[in-house]
Amino acid sequence: MRDDTAALQASPAVRGAHPAEDGAAARPVPAAPSAPVTAPAATAGPSSAEAELAGLDALQTERTRRTSAAEVLRTKVGPPAVALLFVLLLWQLFVAVLDPRPDVVPGPFDVARQFGALVSDGSVLGALGTSLWRGISGFLIAVAVATPLGLLVAQWQGLRNAVGPLISGLQVLPSVAWVPAAIIWFGLSDATVYFVVLMGAIPSIVNGMLAGVDQIPPQLRRAGHVLGASGWTMASRIVLPAALPGYVAGLKQGWAFSWRSLMGAELIAIGGSIGFGLGSLLEQGRTVSNMAVVMVAVLAILAVGILVELLFFNPVERRLLRGRGLLGHRS
Amino acid sequence: MTAIRLDGLSKSFGPADGPVLENVDLTVEQGQFVALLGASGCGKSTLLNIVAGLEEPTGGSVTVPSEGAALMFQDAALFPWLSARRNVELALELRGVPRAERRERAGELLRLVRLDHAGEKRPHELSGGMRQRVALARALAQDREVLLMDEPFSALDAITRDLLHDELLRIWRATGRTIVFITHNVGEAVRLGQRVLLMSSRPGRIVQEWDTRPWKDPDAYGFEGNAQSLDDTLGELTRTITARLREEISRHAR
Repeated sequence: MRDDTAALQASPAVRGAHPAEDGAAARPVPAAPSAPVTAPAATAGPSSAEAELAGLDALQTERTRRTSAAEVLRTKVGPPAVALLFVLLLWQLFVAVLDPRPDVVPGPFDVARQFGALVSDGSVLGALGTSLWRGISGFLIAVAVATPLGLLVAQWQGLRNAVGPLISGLQVLPSVAWVPAAIIWFGLSDATVYFVVLMGAIPSIVNGMLAGVDQIPPQLRRAGHVLGASGWTMASRIVLPAALPGYVAGLKQGWAFSWRSLMGAELIAIGGSIGFGLGSLLEQGRTVSNMAVVMVAVLAILAVGILVELLFFNPVERRLLRGRGLLGHRS
Repeated sequence: MTAIRLDGLSKSFGPADGPVLENVDLTVEQGQFVALLGASGCGKSTLLNIVAGLEEPTGGSVTVPSEGAALMFQDAALFPWLSARRNVELALELRGVPRAERRERAGELLRLVRLDHAGEKRPHELSGGMRQRVALARALAQDREVLLMDEPFSALDAITRDLLHDELLRIWRATGRTIVFITHNVGEAVRLGQRVLLMSSRPGRIVQEWDTRPWKDPDAYGFEGNAQSLDDTLGELTRTITARLREEISRHAR
């Protein structure tokens, strides 16, 4: 290392020496324009190349700016909160001015009261717990099935050609369409619900994995190849980490599809040994014509969807993308 | 010692297309810095891929060190999920360096390219020039005798490129690697290469060679060229080669 520095420090001096020293001895120096140019370089000191490079590095490196908590509050939390308040206000105004039947269009306060009642008798929390448990466990099963399947399909071109269109097609099919079939096969049991959830989530996750693998820049594979990666090392060291953003996007969509499918299944398949979930609560509200119960169920379903995305998937995804510079630090 | 030897090397991608490379003969001695110069479509990259073992020639023979060659691209092609240091460490890992040594070795290589302060940064946090230096450190981590460089500085700004030329020459002297450097920039070829080889396009052939060593290293060659400065001489050489390159290119106008 010491030798390198010496060689480097010598190199600008050597370059300068050619016109200045050797030239001065051999010829009558017509070097008037070049002399003032080389003079400051000579006085700049011995470490000029190192300093130049360090300066350039500093100039060309963007300073990454961390957004302050106040700014996050102002730009990310404030606007949606205001919008939400505005919607509630409009809703209340509508109810106050037009005074509709409360069992058809309940006001926000009726819904809040109903929510309180359903919380205190334990039914909403019970339904929430049942649905969340099914949603999350179903989603995890889907991840366990879809991940190796996705890798297999992504790496094996023949399989890809064969089942690729089928998987994309399955993604378009609303998984609720499987409910009648599932009831015929599994009866009114939790297996029906899980089946529908899996049919919703698995194609999304497989597709996400495929998209992630497809989007790997070819030069990364090439670089891996040049560095000696092949087979297992290529898959584990290059392909998998490179495909991670697409895979996580697929997971996020897979969760959304799981949750939707679950609600669809719970709404349609009621009774038997199937536990009482949020979808069941929704259906119950409809059968007793209690719009406040329906609203509570809808809002709870929505809240779960939003919270899981906000508290889990968004931070994971943002962290992943930011680490790769795929996210502007202001967006 | 000969590091790379090409004998009558030819390459065509299909019978319908003409040959990309035709009858290329080239011998590169160990430790030499060879600049391969040519316009687009002259098969420079194909030639490099063949030497790197990424493509097979359709004719002739290639003799390279059995371990293969390290290769650097125009795009740094760093792995975006790894820090600069981990990028270098991955190259060491894939080469089979034990875990315990990797960190230290990667640190040394980053120091060699003057990036020891940026080891924990991710590629996107580095400037283009810094990324190419990490890529250089990663290529050196492969510890191959031959380093192939495919227009590695062509996407950089002029100031950075200028400094990296000095850096590359310094690192070349420090490590004693054999470098084959592809470029379409005559000035770059003359500045870096001990030998400058001009390639023709379609089919790619080596049409002329210039040796810059007598000017760059006058003592070793007993060369008394001090009436002209090195810069002037190389400038003149650059003009000569540029004229020859343009001649080659205009052949394709018909």
